[in-house]
Order: sequence, then structure tokens, then C-alpha cells
Amino acid sequence: TGAAFASFRFVIKGSLAGAAVYVAYDQGLLGSGTQGAEALKKAQAALPPAIQEWTSYMGWEVRTVQMNTLPPTPKFDFSPSDFWNKGVQTVMSALSVAPTRACDYTVEGWKYVKDLVK
Amino acid sequence: MASEGELGRKWDRCLADSAVKLGAGFGLGIVFSVIFFKRKTWPIAFGSGMGLGMAYSNCQHDFQSPYLLHGKYVKVS
Repeated sequence: TGAAFASFRFVIKGSLAGAAVYVAYDQGLLGSGTQGAEALKKAQAALPPAIQEWTSYMGWEVRTVQMNTLPPTPKFDFSPSDFWNKGVQTVMSALSVAPTRACDYTVEGWKYVKDLVK
Repeated sequence: MASEGELGRKWDRCLADSAVKLGAGFGLGIVFSVIFFKRKTWPIAFGSGMGLGMAYSNCQHDFQSPYLLHGKYVKVS
């Protein structure tokens, strides 16, 4: 019976591990790049309603006189390349106006010191 | 579809896929560590590494295939 129990336990463990791998494969998590990106988009779309459901389940909904529901849960819409491009543009424009700004601040500072010394 | 936006879209796809594969590898590593390997750490590291490797391979294939278009089939009735 010991050996039977051990083999039964191994079968159960193997089934659990196999089920986990199959679910991962079925959801497109182990496939090509497009499948992975789509899986992430699906997860991002499913997250706000899940958060909403959990907060209402935990009883954290605040019911006031003015409004009946929480403000809408935030939507995750993230594009790394857009963020990166915007960051690069901001840095470059800041660098391009930096010498002029430095000159202006120096002139102003010099005027201020001269006024103090007068 | 602007061609200069295609590179940005490829990067987005690559990063999203890397996040998904890393998470999946990490999760499967945890499952295998708990079920088979007595909660040791190395299956988790192995799974995460495998996920990252798969993501790198996918990204490489995506960036080096300039003539493949990612489209959808539309049935014309």
C-alpha cells in the first residue's frame, strides 16, 4: 500500500504540473511574440474589472449621498516606445534650450549682485 | 501604417512578450519547485531564465524579419 500511495501521489503531482503547463500553453504564454503581447493586453483589460469586483467583495465601496459607485478604476494603457520617444524628445529639447537659459540666468544673477553691491 | 512606427511597435511587442514569458516562466518554476523539488529555489531561476531566453529568441526573430507582415485573416463572403 505504501508503494501504491507513493505512485498515486506522483500521478496527482504529475497531473497538476501537466495541467499548469497546458494552461500556460493554451493561453498563448509560450508561443510567438504576437501571442505574448495579446495575452498581456487581455490581462490588462481584465485587471480593472477584477479590481472592481474585489473591492466590492471586500466591502470597500464608499457610498455617499452624491455618488453611488467608486470613481472608475484606472485603465492600464502602456506603450513603452511612446514613453521612450517622449522622454528622448523632452531631454533633447531641454538640452537645446539649456545654453540660452544658462546665459539668461547668469545675466540676471549678475544684475542682482550688482544691485546688491550698489 | 507608417513604416517608422513599425520599429516602435516591434519594441512594444518585444517588451510585452518578455514580461509575459518572464512571468510564465517564473510561475511554472514555482509550480514545479513546490510539486517536485521540495521548494528549492533553482527551478524558479531556471523557469525565469527559460522564459527570458524564449522572449529573446522571439524578439530576435521579429526584428530580423523585415518582410513578414503581422496581419489578420479576414474572410470575404
